[in-house]
Amino acid sequence: MIDTRGLSLDQAPPFHIPARFFLTAPLFVLLAGLLLLWEGPSLLASRWLPLALAMTHLIVIGYLGLLMCGALLQMLPVVLGAPVPAVRWVGSLTHPLLGLGALFLAGGLGYGLPWSLAWGAVASALGFICFLLPVTLALWHARGEPGTRRALRAAALALLVTLLLGLVLSTFLLGLLPLGNFTGWVNAHVIWGLLGWVGLLVIGVAVQVIPLFFVTPPYPALARAWLAPLLLILIVLASLAEVRGWDLTATLALGTVGAGFVLFALLTLWLLVRRGRRRLDPTLLHWGTAMLSVVAAFLAWMLNAPPTLVGILLLVGVGLGLPAGMLFKILPFLAWFHLQHRQLASGRFDLRIPHMGSLLAVNWARTQFGLHLLALLLGMVALAVPALARPAGLVLFLSGLVLEGLLVGVVLRYRRASRAFMATPAP
Amino acid sequence: MNDAISTYMTADHRHCDQYLASFEQAVDRGEWEPAGISGQDLRTSLLSHFAREEEKLFPDLLAVDPRARGPVQVMTMEHRQMRALLDELREALGKQDAPGCLGLAETLHFLIQQHNAKEEGILYPLADQGLAPRAEELVEQLKAF
Repeated sequence: MIDTRGLSLDQAPPFHIPARFFLTAPLFVLLAGLLLLWEGPSLLASRWLPLALAMTHLIVIGYLGLLMCGALLQMLPVVLGAPVPAVRWVGSLTHPLLGLGALFLAGGLGYGLPWSLAWGAVASALGFICFLLPVTLALWHARGEPGTRRALRAAALALLVTLLLGLVLSTFLLGLLPLGNFTGWVNAHVIWGLLGWVGLLVIGVAVQVIPLFFVTPPYPALARAWLAPLLLILIVLASLAEVRGWDLTATLALGTVGAGFVLFALLTLWLLVRRGRRRLDPTLLHWGTAMLSVVAAFLAWMLNAPPTLVGILLLVGVGLGLPAGMLFKILPFLAWFHLQHRQLASGRFDLRIPHMGSLLAVNWARTQFGLHLLALLLGMVALAVPALARPAGLVLFLSGLVLEGLLVGVVLRYRRASRAFMATPAP
Repeated sequence: MNDAISTYMTADHRHCDQYLASFEQAVDRGEWEPAGISGQDLRTSLLSHFAREEEKLFPDLLAVDPRARGPVQVMTMEHRQMRALLDELREALGKQDAPGCLGLAETLHFLIQQHNAKEEGILYPLADQGLAPRAEELVEQLKAF
């Protein structure tokens, strides 16, 4: 039986819901940049430093968490025919909770404030739970490409485990719970968060959007169907071994997960080389850089490079870059799509809707990519040349500022066009 | 299951994608003559694709499967939006307005992609199912457009 529900047009949430997530997220890049600019090289000395932890959580919850949740609320109905129940409520609760959660968590971890850590952990966990409950229901009924469905379900599970582990770690830091092998638990939290939630989500989304965005051949059927589930099993094994202190198993499992992601990254690069749409647009450049960063991160890990290098490659190269590149397409298209519906509703076919190119300033998007790449390179070199840490922070701040400016520009143009449909009566 | 209809119509989608890609590339390089040719190819191939659907496939499908009514209405409305973009694109091409051409092509591309995903995921499988007994004959008729 073929399900025809996916064709309804009113399943997508109103424009302001994803837009709210997208406009808030870059503010956390500004904060992360300022933090690095303020603190300088000492922040990059070790992954265990309080301020490094603060910066990490500003990026993963404030920026990535908001963007991924906002984008999924929008994408699930379109890509998998799975509208998220009570999407307005989910949007209105998850957005402030994650924003505040990221701020308080960063304050608590960075400046050793127990109350801030507690509030941050509770707000972030509640924010993600408000998102996960309805999304799980939506994914339950999802149809469409089985590989994407599997990858997204695996990513949702990974988010749940990440937040549970985060809560365990917070209770330990607050002195409420004894915990043997703290490092192992932290590693498990990182593995589930970065490789599980972020990594599997990137796979699920890439399989769907790379062929569509760039007119490439599809990913091989085997990779599409089984890469994400296989990685999930290995992630379970790796994190279990970390917690139990089985060092050899942990290293082997983690190495295999890494190799799996490298395979995926190389496959993506190979598809991108064979793309039909040849233009070098900023989205393509971000995807390319992110996939090269995955390969570089794995090599750095294999060569026993400092964990902060692996962290910068994954958090900045993939985590900050990829979603920015996606936003350059998603937000203008959404704005255009909603304007179309305004036009249909108002019957004002005499008015012209601004196309995607006039909604987003493409030249500034290129500038954003350039600043992002520079911040990534400066951040990596700063590990060896500490004097470059502050410039890296400044450039990171600027890349976030340009990103924010670009997105605000789209929303303002959307509003202006939208008002035109409402203001003037049809002739 | 006989998937002759899906296979043919999906391949038709991919042809249109290729025309759009060559059009963009030509505009991007400022080669206006090839851009004019691939722009016209894009227009012709998209309009014939719409005709295949609106004049043959959709009516035939509706006759055997009333469930297709809602989806067909949505698809037809999106065809109207794409026709409007094609008209704007022709105008921008006439003025050799590169940013206009690229922005419109980008918008058209995204509209087409989400439209195709719905057709390939839902409507064509419905057609394969409902029109199975005369699929080959129908594909021959579709080719004639």
